[in-house]
Amino acid sequence: MTEPFAVPVLEAPALVPPSFLARLWKLMSNFARRSPISAFWGVVASSILIMALAAPWIAPYEPLQANFRTMSDPPNAQNLFGTDQIGRDTLSRTIHGSRTSLVVAIAAVVLGTTFGSIWGLASGFLGGRFDIISQRIIEFLQAFPDLILAMAIAMALGSGTTTVIIAIAVTRIPFGGRVIRSVVLSLKEMAFVEAARSLGASNLRIMAQHILPQCIAPYLILATTHLGVAIIIEASLGFLGVGIPPPTPTWGNMLSDALNAGLVPPWWLVLFPGMAITITVLAFNLFGDGIRDALDPRLRGSF
Amino acid sequence: MYAYIIRRIGFGALTVVGVSILVFTIMRIMPGDPLTAIYGPDGMHKLSDAERLSLMVELGLTDPLVVQYFNWIVDILKGEFGRSFFRAESVGEMVMRRGPLTAQIAILSVILSWVIGIPVAIVSALRPNSLADNVVRFVSIVCLAVPGFWLGMLIVLALLFWFGYRAPLTGAALFENPLITFQMVIGPAIVLGLGQAAYIARMARSSLLEVIREDYVRTARAKGLSSRMVVRLHALPNALLPVITLSGILLGFVLAGSIPVERAFGTPGLGYAMFTAVNERDIFVMQNLVFLYSLVFVVLNIVVDITIAWLDPRIRYQ
Repeated sequence: MTEPFAVPVLEAPALVPPSFLARLWKLMSNFARRSPISAFWGVVASSILIMALAAPWIAPYEPLQANFRTMSDPPNAQNLFGTDQIGRDTLSRTIHGSRTSLVVAIAAVVLGTTFGSIWGLASGFLGGRFDIISQRIIEFLQAFPDLILAMAIAMALGSGTTTVIIAIAVTRIPFGGRVIRSVVLSLKEMAFVEAARSLGASNLRIMAQHILPQCIAPYLILATTHLGVAIIIEASLGFLGVGIPPPTPTWGNMLSDALNAGLVPPWWLVLFPGMAITITVLAFNLFGDGIRDALDPRLRGSF
Repeated sequence: MYAYIIRRIGFGALTVVGVSILVFTIMRIMPGDPLTAIYGPDGMHKLSDAERLSLMVELGLTDPLVVQYFNWIVDILKGEFGRSFFRAESVGEMVMRRGPLTAQIAILSVILSWVIGIPVAIVSALRPNSLADNVVRFVSIVCLAVPGFWLGMLIVLALLFWFGYRAPLTGAALFENPLITFQMVIGPAIVLGLGQAAYIARMARSSLLEVIREDYVRTARAKGLSSRMVVRLHALPNALLPVITLSGILLGFVLAGSIPVERAFGTPGLGYAMFTAVNERDIFVMQNLVFLYSLVFVVLNIVVDITIAWLDPRIRYQ
């Protein structure tokens, strides 16, 4: 078991910091050697991120500019992914769509998981009545299927980017709360917590100094594994008309527009945005699996 | 066993109460009042203040929130789910008419997910890291990444292009013409079933791998049973317990997933009604439908938990 004197050892690496870049490089090359497949998907995920950041420079056309000479064109040399009913370039819209998707997904997951984790940390550590009430509230939140809860909140708050972020974040709270709480419950019994307490540390100090650092690995695992789900929920909300409203292109509302356009949507308006969602979610899921295996080998190969 | 059932139902009832409070709160934080949603911003300005007030009184929106909440609960207990702003049909009638279609989709998709997921998991768990296992794992990972509604749109398009076939959009009554109903239901069920099958296959694979290493499985094999019998009679029944629990959790995935998927296929089920309500900002319909969906989800999970306790005495006696 952990020795009571292990506490200062935790802070040792900070005393002799090798340069940050060197450490990062070492970390990444280790990761790539251990799990090349996850590393490949990590590269895919980062290129999607770069694409989202550099969207205005990469996209061949303005995503919002209608062109009445090229309406509903199938894919051709000028418009590789074709154009929609009012002549906007599908490729440019798909590239710009990655921005909204990623911003919303990342912000929602970070917000929801952080809030849930802090809540779980407090409820696991403090225990007692606070814990019981917290557990019930989390149970209530989990009684809603994810998408339905997100739809209800997005509708109630009115459409907009912030709304969608909040709606998705709320559905992520229970996961953070539950996982971190169970981690804290087992940490709480460890000898180093008792040692800290016997030295006269307050609850707040023990939580912040001793328990919190141990929760970082599960927190990162949670956040990365939930990115894919968040992207799918965002797309579904857009598809159902409660996401980010048009004309801002998102993958979800592009698919919704395609369906609204007529009885039979042109195939290129359906195929490409959906493929973008699939590839992005695939990349984030597999990269997340790799990160989980690297941070917590016990979970390797499990669900 | 009875003590367990009673405790489980008690917690379930508490959850339902909590859920109703949450739904009510979410539906009342709407910025701008519901009248704007009904009459539109233009219509809103044409109404005089007195008219506005009388409409609000008529809808019961001027009462204190607590009173409104209890009125709603009393209505639900009486079996009245309120009406839509935009349609003559009451929510109760809507559920009776559209509900069966969505229920059929859900049941069919759960059956499909087991029929696909379990055999695939057995193949993959018996030879871990073989070619078949890796193919299965990759396909299931891809299935988790594909949004169901997009797959649905692609299926509709492909059938139309290559076979000139479109599933009927309006059905006869459920039992009058089963063939038409089946055509309406099978598409969404396949899409939702595939999504669940991926989860089920992953769960069943890892749980089988765990069970196969247990002593009693080795004993069974040492007795001279063929490995097929060992899997079928000894390993599988125990390995399926967590899969049943997962299937219950996945019902939420089906209920929620059927909303965009029904839109993609144009199936006139309850999910489509939800899509319409959310777009019309019809808060009374939304409030009741969201509550109903969660109620169904909670009740089905209680049923699943009790089934598990019945199958597995270890849980019953905890």
